[in-house]
Amino acid sequence: MLWRILEILRPYRRTYFQGIALLVAVDLLQLVTPRLLGRIADELQKQHLTRENLLYYALLILGLALTIAAGRYLWRMRLLGVSRRLEYDMRQGLYSHLQKLEPAFYDRHRTGDLMARATNDLDAVRMSTGMGAVMLTDSLVLTASTLALMFVTIDARLTGLALLPFPFMALAALVLGRVIHRRFTLVQEHFGHLTEFAQENLSQIRIVKAFAREEAQIEAFTRVNQDNVQANVSLARVSAVLFPLIQFFAGLSQVITLFYGGNRVVAGTLSLGDFVTFNGFLGLLSWPVMAIGWVINVIQRGTASLERIQAVLTTPPAIMDAPGALHLERLSGEVAFNHVTFSYAPDRRPALEEVSFSLRPGQLVGVVGRTGSGKSTLAALILRLYDPAPGQVFLDGQDVRDLALASIRENVAWVPQEGFLFSTPIRENIAFAGDFGPEDIAAAVRAACLEEDLAGFPDGLDTLVGERGLTLSGGQRQRVTLARALVRNAPLLLLDDCLSAVDTSTEARILANIKTLRSGRTTIFITHRVAAVEDADYVLVLEGGRLLEAGTPAELDRRRGLYYHLRQQQLLEEEKLALGGLKAGPRPARTRPVEE
Amino acid sequence: MAPHQRGLGLAGLAEEEKRGFDLWLLWRLLSYARADWHLFALAGVLILASTGLELAPPYILKIAIDNYLLRPPVAAQAGLVRLAGIYLGITAGVFLTNYWQAYLLQLAGQRVIYRLRQAVFSHLQRLSLSFFDTRPVGQLVTRVANDTQALNQLYTEVLVTLFKDIFLLVGITIAMLSLAPRLALLALVGVPLITLSTALYRHLARKAYRQVRLHLAGVNSFLQEHLSAMRLIQAFGRERANFEQFTRVNQDYYQATMQELTVSAVFRPTMDLINSLVIALLVWYGGGQVIQNLVTFGVLYAMINYTQQFFRPINDMAEKYTIMQAAMAAAEKVLGLLQEKPAVVDAPEVIVRPRWRGEIEFDHVWFAYQPPHWVLRDITFAVRPGETLALVGPTGAGKTSMASLITRFYDVQQGEIRLDGVDIRQMPQGLLRRQIGLVLQDVSLFSGTIAENLILGNPDTSRDRIIRAIEAAQADFVWDLPGGLEARVGERGVNLSLGQRQLLALARALAVDPPVLILDEATASVDSQTEQLIQQALARATAGRTTIVIAHRLSTIQNASRIVVVNHGEIVEQGTHGQLLAVRGLYWRLWQLADQEEKILQSAGKGFGP
Repeated sequence: MLWRILEILRPYRRTYFQGIALLVAVDLLQLVTPRLLGRIADELQKQHLTRENLLYYALLILGLALTIAAGRYLWRMRLLGVSRRLEYDMRQGLYSHLQKLEPAFYDRHRTGDLMARATNDLDAVRMSTGMGAVMLTDSLVLTASTLALMFVTIDARLTGLALLPFPFMALAALVLGRVIHRRFTLVQEHFGHLTEFAQENLSQIRIVKAFAREEAQIEAFTRVNQDNVQANVSLARVSAVLFPLIQFFAGLSQVITLFYGGNRVVAGTLSLGDFVTFNGFLGLLSWPVMAIGWVINVIQRGTASLERIQAVLTTPPAIMDAPGALHLERLSGEVAFNHVTFSYAPDRRPALEEVSFSLRPGQLVGVVGRTGSGKSTLAALILRLYDPAPGQVFLDGQDVRDLALASIRENVAWVPQEGFLFSTPIRENIAFAGDFGPEDIAAAVRAACLEEDLAGFPDGLDTLVGERGLTLSGGQRQRVTLARALVRNAPLLLLDDCLSAVDTSTEARILANIKTLRSGRTTIFITHRVAAVEDADYVLVLEGGRLLEAGTPAELDRRRGLYYHLRQQQLLEEEKLALGGLKAGPRPARTRPVEE
Repeated sequence: MAPHQRGLGLAGLAEEEKRGFDLWLLWRLLSYARADWHLFALAGVLILASTGLELAPPYILKIAIDNYLLRPPVAAQAGLVRLAGIYLGITAGVFLTNYWQAYLLQLAGQRVIYRLRQAVFSHLQRLSLSFFDTRPVGQLVTRVANDTQALNQLYTEVLVTLFKDIFLLVGITIAMLSLAPRLALLALVGVPLITLSTALYRHLARKAYRQVRLHLAGVNSFLQEHLSAMRLIQAFGRERANFEQFTRVNQDYYQATMQELTVSAVFRPTMDLINSLVIALLVWYGGGQVIQNLVTFGVLYAMINYTQQFFRPINDMAEKYTIMQAAMAAAEKVLGLLQEKPAVVDAPEVIVRPRWRGEIEFDHVWFAYQPPHWVLRDITFAVRPGETLALVGPTGAGKTSMASLITRFYDVQQGEIRLDGVDIRQMPQGLLRRQIGLVLQDVSLFSGTIAENLILGNPDTSRDRIIRAIEAAQADFVWDLPGGLEARVGERGVNLSLGQRQLLALARALAVDPPVLILDEATASVDSQTEQLIQQALARATAGRTTIVIAHRLSTIQNASRIVVVNHGEIVEQGTHGQLLAVRGLYWRLWQLADQEEKILQSAGKGFGP
């Protein structure tokens, strides 16, 4: 598992090795000060200690400290800096790959989950390559070199005896570590129950209240809450032992040193200086032992996170340019479907089934049908956001799969149903597709009937929208998204039921604008309102994913089929709304905002 | 990163900046700890004991060196044995006090969050629906689960370490001063240096950390927005331009983290440097004193050890600072929630009766979720006990709001709603709602067994009653499920069809045997067989109860005793089916529309296929 981490570090190996070398050097220099204190003790005992020597030692300690400080600063900047750089580079790579993945990928993955990979998981990887690697090297080097010095330069028997508690220390860390891990998993499980319980209760609070079950729910929550506390306390019972126990074993080593080492000093077989030095070394040893558990944890988490990130990175984009894809500068706006069938998931019923039609350039085409009839899917396929299976979609007689994605998307302007805007100024939202001059933007604003609204905004076109800016009404949002598409003057315009929140008279004005503005270019107008397509050159009627009828509005009217019936129904509906007289005020926003 | 930090928006961040160490907040928090004061007190005593014991080892080494090792006397061995024994005892003592201290603190901390969670959850149960209308569920779950967790850290880590560290610092200073006042004063030269560099670090680190948080929030909101709009970006071919934007955001974050790294990379080694400086001073000046026999070597050695001990708590405290900031932010959110007042409250004096007949009156009721945007205007009607009343009207006419008012989810602004002649505001909410069985459109069941769902946690419901409710709701399919009443539903349980869920929801309402039944009739497409089953069940269930049906399909309400037609929050017509058809008003038109719709659906079903 360490391999994967080393693999991603390869590009940074130079800096990384420099950092490791500095770290090792600092570790070794740290061993000098205990040695010096021992030397002082020896000279004192032998009455050699002079003021000159003392000054020399003091300066040496200071000099060493300066070197160590410089070394520490440098390795921190190198090693931890590299891990930051790595995090940055990986995030760039991840985002760049995410941009290549097709909408179907986003249908399968929740945004929150993808965000977690680009933030929390990357954090974990950074930790394992940064602090994790530092602690690993540090504890290995420090342990090995200290042990070697103790054995070789001081006394092998004393070292052996004093280190007797260390295996127990390691054992305790291992055994307790396992128990702690088990109980920790349990704690997380119980925490999950608690979260789930709260989630369920709060999302069904209406039922809870309607049945006056508040007290019963509190009681049930009490049980979940108690279980959670129990799990935590049982974890604490073990985890509270670990650190004091390790401290205890380290203390035992000191006791042995004091007793056995002290006796050796008294017997004259060990110098006082060596005794003092030995004590200093023991102090250096206990923390690497403690750190090792932490290191293992960090590296485990890092590799698990790396796997989750690489799962995204290794997902091949399903929709991309074919080799030798055709680049067409300007399309004419001719669209054809040939026996197109498409479903969003293999186990779902097709959203489109056996749809064939062809549209001449320059037409204003209406697409009508009820909710779920496949209208939006039709637009998504023209844009090649999804690939049909089986069947073909043609633009200018070319299968869209043979065209470069850029050629399609530069020539098709799309107004999606959702009215999504970025939290940037309105001007930037309208000019989303590229650089547009003020005249272009002004023309688009006029065509989308936005002028009056803009005049009422605090900063006109520069008004910020979204969370930190102005909240636009549904109709305003839709008209901004419309302007965003109109400004492009593309040969093909796709309007996907994008005027549903706009009142009928404004809708009529907008449609008239579009008709004059886009004469000679293809416009596909998807709507559930049949009346809105009365002026179209050609109308497609969809029902349940199938193309039921196609023709001019007059032809369709005469057929007395679904088109005719939908129209009759909607006329009644509008009449019904008109009956009301007084208009009710808006209800407060009861939509659930994006979850925190 | 703690989970609650991830969603922190820019606005939240700015808010958090203003907050430092808020004493008032801390005081409010301590109130949840008061019940466990004896645990905290005991842990405090143990902390004092363990700290005292931890101060002993350098002193023991000093005695060993001075009394036995430097110039070994005759009885050196016996003395060493005694010292080693004492050392062993202290080591064991440190172990025990540290263990119990850590365990007790965890225990007390857990009990505090238990209590706090209990308080938050119970409080949420008591808040009115209007509170939930405008808040995302996820945010409230975070309050219950995560924010309380963050507070636990405040108790068990921050406050305790602070306490212990301060005590340790004082202890070390006293020990040093009493051992060798002149050397101690020399060692204390380090203190102003430490104070100065820590203050400088705190200032710089805070600034750097703020930048990091700010730019991290930037990365998060960029990802949130652009990942959810990826199809738009692709459809507009804006991948390159967006990648450039992302690069800027990512770079800003990278630079901020490097800034933070630089600050800490300078600070940590600087502290070690100051530590070494003090040791060098001690070696030089203290060594001179040793040569002159003014102090013993053992004392010098102990002073050096104490100096090294001195620096640990200082590094510690700097580290805990960030945890504390996050915990304070969580505390504020939790306490803010606890201060929300329920909009609908019981009257000080309530009317309680054992039996209610189920007569409902609306008396000139005006209602708005947000005045003055009236949703209901001057609504007046009455339903006699046992009658079935149908509410009819287009979407958004106010039908569901009327149902919500009868259960007193919201209070009316003007007028009065009465049950058996009593203003429902004079009744305890629980009592009122127990008289009303509510069957909602979207049937959501709780995860648990069928039986648990039917009694909704009311242990007083007899098994007999459950069985009768199932029978009345014609939910006999229950007996075919694996486990019958004990079959689990929900995420990890059996899959129920929409029709089955609706029958269960009906049974759930009937299990209470309420005098009033409110049905928000389901429009969702269930197959015709199930629909028939539901209709039959409804016909049986409504017999002998006051029933209010919110009708979406007119075909199902022809037999209602009375039909009230609402439009735009006002009653436009009322009467029986026959009467309303005769007046040729809105009801008549709606009826025609439904008829048309039926025809279109039928003809479309036959298919015009090409």
